[in-house]
Amino acid sequence: MKTLLVALTILILAGCSTPVKRNFPSVPTELMEACPDLKKTEPTEKLSEVLKVVVDNYGQYHECKIKVDTWVEWYTMQKNIFESVK
Amino acid sequence: MWILSFVPDALVYAVVISIMFIGIALYVISFFTRFIPPLIPYSGIARILGTILTVVGIYFFGSYSTEMSWRAKVAELEEQVKVSEAKSKEANIQIQKVYVDRVKVVKQTQIVIQEKIKEVEIKIDSECKVTPEAVDILNEAAAGVKK
Repeated sequence: MKTLLVALTILILAGCSTPVKRNFPSVPTELMEACPDLKKTEPTEKLSEVLKVVVDNYGQYHECKIKVDTWVEWYTMQKNIFESVK
Repeated sequence: MWILSFVPDALVYAVVISIMFIGIALYVISFFTRFIPPLIPYSGIARILGTILTVVGIYFFGSYSTEMSWRAKVAELEEQVKVSEAKSKEANIQIQKVYVDRVKVVKQTQIVIQEKIKEVEIKIDSECKVTPEAVDILNEAAAGVKK
């Protein structure tokens, strides 16, 4: 009797499963790459060498900023698309 | 009613309609049986059976309609999901393109600045000497907070 009740409950509850499957949107692979560490200056007396590293690091910052901005854009876009399904 | 999804729609519909019409037919026939003497004893049974079948048929028809309306909603939702997934992929391509273009601009700007440094390298180095402490401080700042 107990087995029959359990079987019946499972059978009835199986009808409660959501039939429409939604896949989480994939993220462009470029955005999944972590921002690299900032470059360090080799011991030197030349200001130009130091300046080159600083410029490289600024460049890295800008690349990373673009990545974060793109993530925000990606999220906003995907959220709007997700919410358009009602 | 979800179990019905395994049975062809047309068959379910045919069974439901048959039950309902057999019930109605039995109910109507039960009124005429009183005029046929050999069938008079079955008149009451036919009416009861007809009523039960009609009610059950109407109930099934209602359930069938509900099931069909849910299936239509699911189909509509599946279509919307398909469209949204296509839009999502399209948005990804667009975002990827914009990202690559922006990074390209940054890299090009960096090249231009590095070239500028090369042009004034001798002048900069002749007028300024960097101490090891300055380099250490700069590296410390670049390392950031390490946990």
